Amino acid sequence: MSVEVQHSEDPGAALAAVTALRRLADQLEDSAVERAMRSGWSWPQVAEALGVTRQAVHKKHAKRLVAAGVALRRR
Amino acid sequence: MSTTIRRYVQAVVDQAGIEAQREGATTIEAQHLLLAIATEPEANTQQALSAAGLDYEGIRTALQREFEQSLGVAGVSLATSDMTTRPGAGHARPTKLGASAKLALERGLGKRRGESRPLHLLLGILQAEKGTVPRALETAGINQSELTMRVIEQLTVHDD
Repeated sequence: MSVEVQHSEDPGAALAAVTALRRLADQLEDSAVERAMRSGWSWPQVAEALGVTRQAVHKKHAKRLVAAGVALRRR
Repeated sequence: MSTTIRRYVQAVVDQAGIEAQREGATTIEAQHLLLAIATEPEANTQQALSAAGLDYEGIRTALQREFEQSLGVAGVSLATSDMTTRPGAGHARPTKLGASAKLALERGLGKRRGESRPLHLLLGILQAEKGTVPRALETAGINQSELTMRVIEQLTVHDD
């Protein structure tokens, strides 16, 4: 995926792009974390890859992944 | 605030939480309130939306188009993304209001104590000058100012 910010005369368009990218990033994170956990990654590995604490990644994704039927490794 | 409007607002906020969850959002925003209003069987708000050619599916389509267009400004296309995303899958339903939803509620219902009506909530959403809702309406070819004026006129008629 290439990202090339177009120069827009409209600052509203640039700000809306920021909002949309944040939303897409959240969706991509959900998908990538689920894939990693289904592949047997541990919480510390996922946290390190994302550059956040394992507590943060666990808090954000654990319930969702359990609900999705992902078998989670111990923290 | 009367019991009727309180029940209506609660029903809209509850449904907006479902819309936010569907999108994978962590807070309820103005666009989720607008989608929720489109699903609530309240005659005056339905009349205002349908007169502008808007319904639930139309609003959803406009919001999705706005999202894709905004990503396009950053050179990102959902079509070329190789990541599979399932927005909202398994996320808890948000109950917190985000900044845009709070503003819409304040604008629409804030200063009127007893005499608020469902149309006031719609008005509060439509009076946003910037953000996702105005951009989505523009994308759908809806004249936001005209729609806002029509809602104000509808409110005035009911006041007479």
